[in-house]
Amino acid sequence: MSAPGTAALARLADLVGADHVLTDPLSLSRYAVDGRLPWAAVRPGTAEEVAEIVRWARAETLALVPTGSGTKLDLGMPPLRYDVAVDCSRLDRIIAYDPADLTLSVEAGMRVAALEAVLARHGQMLPLEMPFYDAMTIGGLLASGSSGPQRQLYGAPRDFLLGAEFVTGEGRRAKSGGRVVKNVTGYDFHRLLIGSLGSLAIFTVANFRTFPRPPAQALFVASFAELDGALALRRALVQSPLTPTALELVSPALAQRLTPQAAWLPSGHWAVLVLVGGERAVVERHAHDLARMARSANAAALTRLDAEPMNRLWSRLREFPSLACEISPAPAIVRLNTLPSELGALAVRAETTAGRHRVPVALLLRGVGILYVLLLPDASSAETLARLAAAVGELLQAGAEYGSALVEFCPPELKQVVNVWGVVARRNDLGLMRQLKQVFDPDNVLSPGRHIGGI
Amino acid sequence: MYSRKAAPRRLERRTLRDLQRLLGPENVLHEPEDVLLYEYDGSVEVARPDCVVFPQTTEQVAGLVQIANRDRVPVVGRGAGTGLSGGALAREGGIVVVFSRMNRILEIDLENQRAVVQPGVVNLDLTKAVEHAGLYFAPDPSSQKACTIGGNVAENAGGPHTLAYGVTTNHVLGLELVLMDGSVVRVGGRTPDTPGYDLTGLLVGSEGTLALVTEITVRLLRAPEAVKTLLAVFDRVDDATATVVEITARAITPAACEMLDGWTLRAVEDFIHAGFPLDAAAVLLIELEGLTEAVEVQAAQVFDVCTRCRAREVRLARDETERQRLWAGRKNAFGAVGRLSPSYYTQDGVIPRTKLPETLHRIEQIGATYGFQIGNVFHAGDGNLHPIILFDSRDPDQFARAVAASTAIMEHCLSVGGALTGEHGVGMEKSELMPRMFTDDDLELMRRVRDVFNPLGLLNPGKILPLGKGCGEIRVQPLPLRSSLPA
Ligand SMILES: Cc1cc2nc3c(=O)[nH]c(=O)nc-3n(C[C@H](O)[C@H](O)[C@H](O)COP(=O)(O)OP(=O)(O)OC[C@H]3O[C@@H](n4cnc5c(N)ncnc54)[C@H](O)[C@@H]3O)c2cc1C
Repeated sequence: MSAPGTAALARLADLVGADHVLTDPLSLSRYAVDGRLPWAAVRPGTAEEVAEIVRWARAETLALVPTGSGTKLDLGMPPLRYDVAVDCSRLDRIIAYDPADLTLSVEAGMRVAALEAVLARHGQMLPLEMPFYDAMTIGGLLASGSSGPQRQLYGAPRDFLLGAEFVTGEGRRAKSGGRVVKNVTGYDFHRLLIGSLGSLAIFTVANFRTFPRPPAQALFVASFAELDGALALRRALVQSPLTPTALELVSPALAQRLTPQAAWLPSGHWAVLVLVGGERAVVERHAHDLARMARSANAAALTRLDAEPMNRLWSRLREFPSLACEISPAPAIVRLNTLPSELGALAVRAETTAGRHRVPVALLLRGVGILYVLLLPDASSAETLARLAAAVGELLQAGAEYGSALVEFCPPELKQVVNVWGVVARRNDLGLMRQLKQVFDPDNVLSPGRHIGGI
Repeated sequence: MYSRKAAPRRLERRTLRDLQRLLGPENVLHEPEDVLLYEYDGSVEVARPDCVVFPQTTEQVAGLVQIANRDRVPVVGRGAGTGLSGGALAREGGIVVVFSRMNRILEIDLENQRAVVQPGVVNLDLTKAVEHAGLYFAPDPSSQKACTIGGNVAENAGGPHTLAYGVTTNHVLGLELVLMDGSVVRVGGRTPDTPGYDLTGLLVGSEGTLALVTEITVRLLRAPEAVKTLLAVFDRVDDATATVVEITARAITPAACEMLDGWTLRAVEDFIHAGFPLDAAAVLLIELEGLTEAVEVQAAQVFDVCTRCRAREVRLARDETERQRLWAGRKNAFGAVGRLSPSYYTQDGVIPRTKLPETLHRIEQIGATYGFQIGNVFHAGDGNLHPIILFDSRDPDQFARAVAASTAIMEHCLSVGGALTGEHGVGMEKSELMPRMFTDDDLELMRRVRDVFNPLGLLNPGKILPLGKGCGEIRVQPLPLRSSLPA
């Protein structure tokens, strides 16, 4: 593979304007994927330009990686080929927003934070709090399959994405779904594209249902000397009629990082964070019932945070990958999906595994059945990396036993020895995925090699 | 009247013989009088299968699919046959695979709020099996006493309460599939977010055109602690639709918000005695669910909106009996209306909720233009319309007008930014309308994805995608024929 020739670049410049083709090293450094740089980056301003770029790349046999603001580009395996980054950040318009219908159509390059500001003016929101919140774009979060703590109440983006427009690897514009809140017309390609890391198509427009902003909110933090207490509180909560927005269990190593020492979160304690939203009476009801539940689960303390202190702590937890980077020079984050009832056993197993390989570890348990294992080696030497790799490998194995697992974040070197998509030996659905890739992107133009099974 | 295709092919002797060997002769129907029942589903379409089989295991399904594939015979899955778009009909003849004997609940995990079921489990039976533990299966189509979870998965079925809790796809975690080559593939799992493409999301709602589903893992919800059911009575339809618009605009989120117009509610009242006032122009059945405190606040808000929008009366169901009666009125509305006419045609379209008032005007106009009384009983909170056209299918002129009226309604839905179907599916009813909503490129992509799963087009042929065959083979527009829907 060689750099696109000047003639090819000139054709690209003809498509989008020379101003929107970047080739200088400084600009390109922003588009690194696992340390790998493209020859050029292009910034289309319309969906039609995206389609033209893909057709151009196809004709030139070049490989593209679509990007939003680049916060999650290190997900998946390193691309097999990477010539040009398609930076979608100029696709940042709201196409239609009908607050009275609670529906929204927005271009894929729009930043979530900017969108939220618009929604907030109408007392509405999208439950899209997740890591890299301030920078991430709609298209990026969809393509990366991210979800956040609000999933407890609102579900994942797949549950409130109503439809999408996209450009396939053949450079064809297509769509699925629609803008109405209920619709079963045709195949749901927009769901298929969620989590596809831009390997099937490039999102250009996404349609969502919006939600009312809760009139009142509070964050409750209960602390426990042992994981068992924290798990007991989780169980009591989900078996109660209460309707928390989010329910996160945080191991002592991470809990300490959330807030400067506070009496209500003694060091060495697990923290259970319960975010609650709704009418004031609803929040108060939660406060009342939670106090009782925390007592029966033998919580060391229970505190309530509102307003600023709540936001500060909450956004710190939301950005847990950044916390991992604060703690360790070469962190890895493994995500394990399991049944909620298995969270405790899996957490213990993760701690044991990390301990055996002498890798410091912190855990984040999401009530719906997700365990984030933060492996936090204190150096980035070859020796620590080897131990890290061994621990990650075992965790992926454990994940496959309990449900599924993948590596969400790790030093690029690790990907030479570990497949971040986890153990797929017992699965038989990869053949279908390969065939779908063939349909959407027959020439392997989009993100080649980044997805599961070498797709 | 109905241009039925050339008599379906007869099955080759060896096809039938091998099916009988595989499933036992008692599980294979092939005499014309035996397969007659399977010419119909809940829709207005008709198509006769060559044989009907009743597998009991995934292996049997895989085996019969291999036989069909070998002999190039079409295969069509069927649950309870309540579908309203002809999805379960053997449009090109062949084998109808009825899942009624794969109706076991395989596993219930109360702690994790999951269940694993075979596709033939009746929707309501799952809820009955878990309600002792305060759990239920959220998708609640009005046909839930009869329809199967396999059928729900295929159609991505909704129901009154999907306004708050989402449709079938939001409650399905994993599937076991039998592909047309006879292979058995598992997609998704017991836990969400299985790494890789979301094949479960693609399969749910694919109307039985991609694979036969032999096992389904679903999520169960915890029943709310408080429920309030309100009946708001209006003297003008406009006031009722304005109420729905205002409830949505204020972002009040009821669990259900259903509308019956005056004409429909009188038909229902005659039959069900649900307690609907006979002189009303429209009623809204609004249900609020959740934490007691949340329900209190919402009930007050809804009451306020209804009053401002000139509701004549807002009645709160006093007890469970009254609540059940109101819901019986809603859930049996189609059956009740069906008694009034030799034939009726239930449409299914979606509009943005802000367009509700003008849309009901438009439907009334369309009715006047084509000379029909069109009733409306529908999921108003989602903007999911169900106009019902009553007519006599024995009269060719009435038939043609009914079809034209129905197409005009669909056109209106699309013109205001809506969709062709909210829950009944495209099936064979609306496949020829697909180009009005999707471009050639959109449809081509759907076709190619279908071909990945269904390369020879043997699985449920003639559904979802427009036929695009020679004119001689394009079937006539939907012909409303019967009114024998379950009451
Ligand atoms: C009175 C009445 C009220 C209704 N109310 C609602 C409502 O409120 N909401 C709503 O969404 N629908 C409603 N429906 C429509 C219908 O009940 C639903 O579409 C239901 O999901 C169909 O289930 P079924 O078991 O009857 O499927 P069928 O009609 O037998 O089949 C439907 C489709 O599923 C496919 N299929 C069935 N089983 C399988 C399988 N195992 N694998 C692959 N494909 C399969 C068939 O091929 C077909 O395409 C109503 C119908 C009636 C008659």
